Amino acid sequence: MKTAQTIYQEGSHRWVVIARDPSKPDCVIDTNEYLISREGDNLLTDPGGSEIFPAVFAALSTIVDPMSIRYLFASHQDPDIISSLGLWLECNPDIRCYVSRLWSSFIPHFGGDENSLVAIPDEGMSMPLGSGQIEYVPAHFLHSSGNFHLYDPDARILFSGDVGAALMPPEEDELFVRDFDKHIRHAEGFHRRWMGSTEAKLDWCERASRMKIDMLCPQHGSIYQGDDVMRFINWFAELPVGLSTFRHRR
Amino acid sequence: MSNKPTHKTSSGELAGFVRLNEGIKGVVLIAFQINIMALNAILLAHRAGEVALGFGVISKELRSLSVELTGLMQELSNDAYLAVNLISDLLRQERRYRLLKKATDLVVNPSPALRDVMVRREEEFSLITHRVRDVRLRLLDRLEDARKLCQFGTAISRSAKIEAAYGREYGRALAEVSQEFDQKIQNILPSIEALCTGMQRR
Repeated sequence: MKTAQTIYQEGSHRWVVIARDPSKPDCVIDTNEYLISREGDNLLTDPGGSEIFPAVFAALSTIVDPMSIRYLFASHQDPDIISSLGLWLECNPDIRCYVSRLWSSFIPHFGGDENSLVAIPDEGMSMPLGSGQIEYVPAHFLHSSGNFHLYDPDARILFSGDVGAALMPPEEDELFVRDFDKHIRHAEGFHRRWMGSTEAKLDWCERASRMKIDMLCPQHGSIYQGDDVMRFINWFAELPVGLSTFRHRR
Repeated sequence: MSNKPTHKTSSGELAGFVRLNEGIKGVVLIAFQINIMALNAILLAHRAGEVALGFGVISKELRSLSVELTGLMQELSNDAYLAVNLISDLLRQERRYRLLKKATDLVVNPSPALRDVMVRREEEFSLITHRVRDVRLRLLDRLEDARKLCQFGTAISRSAKIEAAYGREYGRALAEVSQEFDQKIQNILPSIEALCTGMQRR
């Protein structure tokens, strides 16, 4: 089963990561879900696919009542991100799911409708969570054409979806990056293939480098913290991506 | 969810209704062929005049039968479509129920609200299961109507053979047409029987 671990806490404001499911089927990619909780307002980022719903739900129940989740945020439209939406809505029909406007008529294939989905405009937006605010930061084409990250300025945490993700062997599957050089090898192939636009990548790196980020939390793999955050941004800015790096093209 | 069929049985049921729809298409094709044949037979009887008056009446009856059979098959097809939709929904509900049940089992103290969700799921599931059963019963009724219609068709196609014998110089042509009528009707009956058997087995 997945486990829930608090990675930030300041009063009632906290971030909890739900990660590492040793019992998941091998055919399903492991994912990180993040619970952002503030004065009783609960938001879950990229709640995951249907098949891992029971594990996420159970791990979440060790921290909060999962029925109290009020908001979901989907960084983009992939099934490992949001195909569990129908199940979450079964539990709480009042849940609102924030997602790029591009996907508001695609995601209902997984569940939900115009009432349960809140379309984020291309330029992004802020929303209140408890006494604070969170920001939906544009990250279009990284990798999805309608893609957002979530920034919590008070916690100084950026949930970066697939950016920063790494596909790690089980023996190196640490929750936090310990050895950047060793870790980043597991991120390289993924970023080269999935992040197709150099222009989008550089635009994101430029904006991210100006943000105050203590933790960069991807949807797969380990969390970057401290100096590793800027190391990652610099590494990503330098990484050749896109079609020119695609060796198997005809 | 004691009356809950497994995913496997719902999938089998879905395949059964899809096969039914394919069988219906076969019957509709034969009914169309009977319609055209009956139209030609009416024209032939008209040319033959007095000697084929009875044959003409029977041909009109066969034409009406083909129209009625086509209508019945259309209703069956609509029901089969409805059943496919309901069973697809059932399969979706089964999957959701399985995942919610697994989540409930993993939680140490499931909240009453979560238990309510499970109860609602079971009620919804039961409702769809009953609707599938109702559609299947309606399908069986319609198939029984189709079987009776074909039995009536068999009887009148035999009458057509008798009437053809009075056709004098048109006798041979009328006999050929009546023989074809009989063959077509005989082709439909096994299809209807197969559809009935396929539905009753579920």
